[in-house]
Amino acid sequence: MISRRMDGLRIRTLIVAGCLGLAFLGLSGRLVYLQVVKHEEYLRLAESQHAKAIPLTAKRGAIMDRHGQVLAVSSAAETLFALPGRVDDAERLARRLAPILDEPVGEIARRLQSSKRFVYVKRRLPPAVAQAVRDLREPALGFVDESLRLYPNRELAAHVVGFEGAEGKGLGGIEQAWEAQLAGQEGRALVERDALGREVSGAPRILKPARPGQGVVLTIDATLQYVAEKEVDAAWRRTRSKAAMAIAMDPRTGEVLAVAIRPTFNPNTFSSATDEERRNRAVTDPFEPGSTFKVILAAAALEEGVVRPTDRVYGEQGAIKVASATIHDWKKYGWLTFAEVLQHSSNVGAIKVGLQLGKERYYKYITGFGFGTPTGVGLPGESRGQLRSTQRWSGLSLATMSIGQEISVTALQMVASFAAVANNGRLMQPQLVRAVLDAQGREIQGFEPRVVRQVITPDTARVLTGIMTLVVSDGTGRNAAIAGFDVAGKTGTAQKLDPATRRYSRTPGVLSFVGFVPADDPRLAILVMLDEPKNEKWGSEAAAPIFAAIGREALRHLQVSPRDSAPVQIVRGEGGATAEPTVASFGAAGSLRALVRPAAFTPVAEGARLMPALVGLSLRHAMEALAPLGVPVEITGGGVVVAQSPPPGAALPDGMPSRLTLASPAARR
Amino acid sequence: MPRKLSPDLWLFGVVVVLVSLGVVMVYSASAIIAADRFGDPLFFVRKQLVWALAGAGCLWAAMRLDYRTLERLVIPLLALSFVLLVLVLLPPFGQAINGTRRWFRIGPLSFQPVELAKFSLVLYLASFLARRPDTLRTFGRGPLPILLMAGAMAGLTILQPDLGNSLTLVVLTMVLAYLAGARSGHLAAVVAAALPVLALLVAMKPYRWRRMVAFVNPWDDPQGSGFQIIQSFLALGSGGWLGRGLGESKQKLFYLPEPYTDFIFAILGEELGLLGGMFVIALFAVVIWRGLRVGLRAPDAFGSYLALGLTLMLATQTLVNLAVVMGALPTKGLPLPFISFGGSALLMTMFSAGVLLNISQHASAA
Repeated sequence: MISRRMDGLRIRTLIVAGCLGLAFLGLSGRLVYLQVVKHEEYLRLAESQHAKAIPLTAKRGAIMDRHGQVLAVSSAAETLFALPGRVDDAERLARRLAPILDEPVGEIARRLQSSKRFVYVKRRLPPAVAQAVRDLREPALGFVDESLRLYPNRELAAHVVGFEGAEGKGLGGIEQAWEAQLAGQEGRALVERDALGREVSGAPRILKPARPGQGVVLTIDATLQYVAEKEVDAAWRRTRSKAAMAIAMDPRTGEVLAVAIRPTFNPNTFSSATDEERRNRAVTDPFEPGSTFKVILAAAALEEGVVRPTDRVYGEQGAIKVASATIHDWKKYGWLTFAEVLQHSSNVGAIKVGLQLGKERYYKYITGFGFGTPTGVGLPGESRGQLRSTQRWSGLSLATMSIGQEISVTALQMVASFAAVANNGRLMQPQLVRAVLDAQGREIQGFEPRVVRQVITPDTARVLTGIMTLVVSDGTGRNAAIAGFDVAGKTGTAQKLDPATRRYSRTPGVLSFVGFVPADDPRLAILVMLDEPKNEKWGSEAAAPIFAAIGREALRHLQVSPRDSAPVQIVRGEGGATAEPTVASFGAAGSLRALVRPAAFTPVAEGARLMPALVGLSLRHAMEALAPLGVPVEITGGGVVVAQSPPPGAALPDGMPSRLTLASPAARR
Repeated sequence: MPRKLSPDLWLFGVVVVLVSLGVVMVYSASAIIAADRFGDPLFFVRKQLVWALAGAGCLWAAMRLDYRTLERLVIPLLALSFVLLVLVLLPPFGQAINGTRRWFRIGPLSFQPVELAKFSLVLYLASFLARRPDTLRTFGRGPLPILLMAGAMAGLTILQPDLGNSLTLVVLTMVLAYLAGARSGHLAAVVAAALPVLALLVAMKPYRWRRMVAFVNPWDDPQGSGFQIIQSFLALGSGGWLGRGLGESKQKLFYLPEPYTDFIFAILGEELGLLGGMFVIALFAVVIWRGLRVGLRAPDAFGSYLALGLTLMLATQTLVNLAVVMGALPTKGLPLPFISFGGSALLMTMFSAGVLLNISQHASAA
């Protein structure tokens, strides 16, 4: 009974199972048909509807000087796109757009008739133009946010800042080297909601929002930079040099305060500039330093005890024969002290000391001062210079290198080595970036000064500084003197090796002056260099006065008091404003933050009032910066600004108060 | 005599694989939509994971509970199902979503009473058929009562409206009646009588008519009624042999509507290709094969019909869902068992799998 029931059930179950099996087989066949047979066709259809996913560019972070003055900033701009499939009458639409976009009708029409599903009509429109297009109410048009890179100070520090290329990538300087931080993260958006053109709306549907880039605060001081550029520019024009440059560095920290280079370019219109103009010669172009390098020789010789400043060296009446070559002095010197060798830049004297020092010991100090390796300042294309290992030196090498030939160095290496002498013999890591800020202007990464190595003892450095001071007070560097300050430095003249003849050409080569000031408590190390000047031949006559001009204004800007002024009360600011204990003590405690001054803020967008970057400023300076904007301010705490709202660069709506949080400087770090 | 065996390990393993695959696919298919709509890419997959864990609990409970005790629950569950099916139609209780009243919502959870109704009906049918093996030959005493019961349930379901599930209820009842020995002639007559009713139902609702038209030729109106099925084709078609790779579907980016529920198989096909699609189909075939095997080996008629009924329920839903996604049937609102996003459906399917596993432990000595 049960088994009979079960037999029937078994048979019928098998029949049903067979039906189910057939259904599964049928579906499998259908799946093969859809996925394999129709693959090409469906894939093509799918791709054509997917083409409307577009990248959203992130707002690039700003580049600021050490006080928050904007050197590069991205302002919002809108990019106009069209969906050609939705355009009914391209000619008509092009005629409507042409006057607004200021482009030929035919050109616009050609874009609108593209066979693509999505085309950019015009990228990065200013707000007013975008609004005018929006007012046309054309359903086939839409906007995505992109940003427009602006360099409000044009050529100022252009070689350091670099520029953003057409594709939105940094192509030089900090813009390139810090691309990862500045760029932010690209987002994605769909310009159409779904397939086949349904539910088109002007606003793209954001799949993944773009993450704005981080701001980079440079060690550059825009005011110093301006001073340096002004002087370098004038000298470059006057001497008709191939190139000219000046670098200013804080010897105590290695922070680069100014890099002025001519020829230069305007990063806003970078594409019309030549490579000659865009190259940051201070790090990419090594040159033979000539006599300035005698300071390195002197540092080595003094440190090794080979010579004392008062030791006498015979000048051989202006000529010395080394390995079948004769090297001349410009004057026929007799007996000179070692100090006088530097003062008068005697080649014979330097060579004699060099030969006494020996190549191994000399080489140790050359590399010790950082020559032969890139400084690692973090700029693209940095050269290491040319320094052969001692095994590959010829019989003449030690002699020529004693007077700064047969070696090439970058301007940055040179100024860093002098800064090391100024800094009690301690070589600092040259630094261009002070901090990285997030999109809200909060510091997320700070860079502290870093000691590379102690190259010579503080005693040697002091003795050498004394000799270098004599160079300026009573030697070849007289034109570098700055009234009220002791300047230490060295002139340099180097002929250039003619690549064709492998001989030193007779035409003037590199004129330079490198020094630091004040000699007893150096605040600035400055290099000035003229490449192939046409009008002047002597370093002391061309480069030294530029050093003096830059140094004079820079010291005033840095509020360094002259030698004979009252040491107690420091009056700050032209207007005789009261001294600020916070700033002064701050400077004493942590030299890094000493260079506080009111920031000058450049408006970046017409009509919009933007919140300046105030972090790090004292309350008074912050208020000065905010005063012209007429913004109500709420303040908590005391000391320097550690947090601000709204963030730097944010628009300030009427009546919205900004909030500043202050803390004592010590608490900040 | 029945003896206690270990549960069907094939069935168990495949269910685990399917549910896990479901969680992965729900995440892949829903993450971008969830981020766009709720600002949280994990919005759907988190729920799915909770339901899957709850489902695992149900499966375990059902495995532990002797299926024979379920027979005592036939009347209460049937009554509860009817009450819920009526309540869901009344505004304060049932939640209207997209113009339909199919769900109860309790806090963040939603429950579809028809899922319980389907299980209750299978339970009722198994009990009825097991007790009256000989009455089925007479139409009035066998097929008629069960068809009336199924018809009443299907009628309430159609008011929601949910044509897909109500058809499932009726078809399931007929197939089970056929298995139990009802005359083919009777059943054919019922089908013949039902067809005009079905036609009327389709004609009554314009959207059903559009679905029919779209099914016959989706390319007539690619932006309207044919839109969803065409997007499904494009998803499957662009997958090819090996697919775009897990997570790489383009069609889920707002092209294919509801890619993580009823049309999840299309996204699976796009990302994992024919290989992945066939693998999933094979898994379902294994589940159904093992389910029918459990039915034939059950120690008593109740267990037999219960196992067969639950298996057929699963088979019907699977086949209808796959057929819809592949454009072989007009669009129905049926999820893909184990894989599609959906709380109560997953819960009841896993509970059913647990019951099947329990019955498999009691296989007859034969």
